[in-house]
Amino acid sequence: MTTRQAPDPRPRRGATHPSSPDPVRLHPMLRLPSPLVAAALTCALLSAPASAQDLVAIRAGTVHTLTGEPLKDAVVLIENGVIRAVGQDVEVPWNARVIEAKDGVVMPAYVLAHTIGGLSGSNENMENVPFLTVQDAIDPSSEFFDEALRNGIGTIHVIPGNRTLFGGQGMIVRPSGRTVEEMTVREHSGLKLSLEADRGTSRMAQIRKLRNVLKDAVDAKAELDRKRAEFDKEKEAGAIPADKEFDGKLDEQKQPILDLIEGRLPGYLFVPSAAEVPEVERLVREYPDMKLVLVLGPTCHKAADRIKALGLPVVLESNALEYEERDPETGDVSVLCPAKVFADAGIEFAISVSPGTSSAERFPWWQMAAMVRHGVDRATALRSLTTVPAKVLGLAAEFGTIEPGRVACLQVLTGDPLAATTWVETTLIEGEVVYERAKDARLKLLFGADGETAGEAK
Amino acid sequence: MMLFPLPAWRRAAVVLAALAAAVVTTTTATAQTGVTVFRGARIHPVSSPPIADGTIVVTGGRIAAVGGADVQIPSGATIVDLAGLVVTPGLVDASTTLGVPDIDLNEQGEEVTPQLRIADVLDPASRDFVAARRFGVTTVQVDPGNRNVIGGLGVVVKTVGDTLAQMLVKDESGLRLTMGAEPSSGNRAIRGGTPVGIYYRRPTTRMGVVWETRQAFYAAKAYLERKTDPDTPPELLGTDPGLEVLARALRGEVVVHTTARAEQDIRTALRLMDEFGYKALLEEATEAWRVVDELAEKGIPVLLAAPSRLAAADGAEVRYHTLNVLAQRGVSFAICSGAGDAPLPLIHEAMFAVRNGLAPAKALEAITLRPAEILAVADRVGSLQPGRDADLVVWTGDPLDPTTRVHAVYIGGREVTPR
Repeated sequence: MTTRQAPDPRPRRGATHPSSPDPVRLHPMLRLPSPLVAAALTCALLSAPASAQDLVAIRAGTVHTLTGEPLKDAVVLIENGVIRAVGQDVEVPWNARVIEAKDGVVMPAYVLAHTIGGLSGSNENMENVPFLTVQDAIDPSSEFFDEALRNGIGTIHVIPGNRTLFGGQGMIVRPSGRTVEEMTVREHSGLKLSLEADRGTSRMAQIRKLRNVLKDAVDAKAELDRKRAEFDKEKEAGAIPADKEFDGKLDEQKQPILDLIEGRLPGYLFVPSAAEVPEVERLVREYPDMKLVLVLGPTCHKAADRIKALGLPVVLESNALEYEERDPETGDVSVLCPAKVFADAGIEFAISVSPGTSSAERFPWWQMAAMVRHGVDRATALRSLTTVPAKVLGLAAEFGTIEPGRVACLQVLTGDPLAATTWVETTLIEGEVVYERAKDARLKLLFGADGETAGEAK
Repeated sequence: MMLFPLPAWRRAAVVLAALAAAVVTTTTATAQTGVTVFRGARIHPVSSPPIADGTIVVTGGRIAAVGGADVQIPSGATIVDLAGLVVTPGLVDASTTLGVPDIDLNEQGEEVTPQLRIADVLDPASRDFVAARRFGVTTVQVDPGNRNVIGGLGVVVKTVGDTLAQMLVKDESGLRLTMGAEPSSGNRAIRGGTPVGIYYRRPTTRMGVVWETRQAFYAAKAYLERKTDPDTPPELLGTDPGLEVLARALRGEVVVHTTARAEQDIRTALRLMDEFGYKALLEEATEAWRVVDELAEKGIPVLLAAPSRLAAADGAEVRYHTLNVLAQRGVSFAICSGAGDAPLPLIHEAMFAVRNGLAPAKALEAITLRPAEILAVADRVGSLQPGRDADLVVWTGDPLDPTTRVHAVYIGGREVTPR
């Protein structure tokens, strides 16, 4: 019988993450007008409940809070898009809109820490384009986002692909909204860089190019500093008018790199195989302020101990969950689960799914079940698409769990989240129902509900 | 929706039992000649209802008895304890290209090559068969590719053996015919110029594909008439092995495995079947959901690929409810790999069929007994009953649960689990 009440019903106002220069943008509904009004609202709540529009209650057979053991027959109460309370003895206010899921399961909507989904073209041919941003490439009408909601995904970090040296900047979006602006949760969420040697490039050359770009940015910064010091000196000496300010700046190619080096812009570094891990170690040593997230390809588990020692956040590519390895001597193929190796090594990781594709990897339940099939425990599997990716994105205070104060990005499932027969019934983003299976026209078509099947008409 | 909802204590016991069983199975390799008893597992014979605490007695590579815990255990038998585990028949994949390199699948010298036999190029040492066993697949039909109008003869084999003879279940198991755009795709007509590439060949349209089929069967019909006429002088009979194969199809001795994905191609396939009176089944019939009435009426079996996938070839539209509709209408169907790049994990595809609403028992049938029946090898594989080959898959739990693994695979009573 656990019930927790939110200590403050408006924890979201002006929320920013310390590591990010960009604020988390929430729907207008979630932005309270002023502390005064909010305080008045809070007082009003004590005597009379707020308008029905703002209160949503989900009565669920099971609630996976991701903060502890699942709760049976519990209520999740949402106020103004924020989770107000969760527990078995939470009272449902008379004016709350109730979502009945007595036979269902409620859990946090999934968080994707790294995907190219929703982009038209994810890998720029030029190798050093850190100034590009996916903001200009996201297609809000992409089926990828519909498919995301259909699969209970509520927060998505869209970022350039793995095949460009410095591919550009990502952004965190909600898969709901008509424009990129409406979808935006956070802009400039990270810079994508890759150690994968592209066509015609050797591994040596790739590393060399990457280091050159970093060094050039440092040199440019030093040169700028020198010019600024000179400017200040001349200004002091009266050679430059006192009201004139120094206006030198780095070019658009170098500034994001410097932001990366100095830790203002997180870097999402693709590491294709274990062979590149030593280079990651050198980068970390030489640029200690750099905030890196490692995006790991399928053989990186062979360096699991060294990756653990790095202590950096980890995202596993979708092919790093179940992976076929061929013995070069015998030709024998064995199926490995790199995720299991990371789990055994005590490394926390987020996983990837591939919505928008035709393969089974498009389903979160499949990806999690694949790991469990190889011995990863269910709790770790569930965390790899909820709490861990939220933490990787620096949004652990907002997403990934069901507890008072968290943003109400939730999904209602028909059963066990890892079972093949389970479907997402409802997806809520910031307290708002944005997907209902009963109204899913695409699913209706796929199940032939429009009478077009000869056999069913009879 | 587990096939066998295991009680919690049982589920906990699975791990321990699996460990114990692993020790047993590896230390006592079951001999093909002796008597082996598999005991304690939940058994899906498929041909009969599931047995909770089942026993299978295997003698000489074949099943001697299947039943509950009360089955008489012959003295001196090797006991394999499978408590907490689940046993199904070895899975049957009715359409694959296993054991044949891509380059050897399609003879491009001619468009109509009924006399070609895939059995002649099958490599028993291919890793494909190991991969198939890893997914619990113990019997497969290997077909020629789809790039010819009539590609040749398939073969049904077990997924283990050093020679074709050891693997063979049924030779010349079906004749491959392909409708639609695939046999014509990429082809170019010779208009003057020099034909420098293999793609300078017919047909170049769907119409051309159908015409090539007609032409071949008309010739075979004439050949059959000459052959059955006692007055035909032997020198007029000719010795075209292709015509002989087509004549066997016309006589109903070889089933024509017709790949047809889009509705129009399925209808064309049915029309050709009526026209020439051969026995046929449909492969990769993605749009079977549009033609259910005709399929049910004519009793045509259907092989379908990957219920997990949304993409389909030849402009055909995928529907999630296809198998449900076929099941409702009593059309016989199997889930199989088809002419894709790699063999499918059949059990996972059956799982997706269940996700889309097919009854779990029907889904299991669609990868065991149904394909065996469709290939006319059900007297040997596809179910667990006395007299059948002892091809078993031992699973760590409900086979249709995505968290379940293959624990062990037996073919002819011998353990062949890939490690």
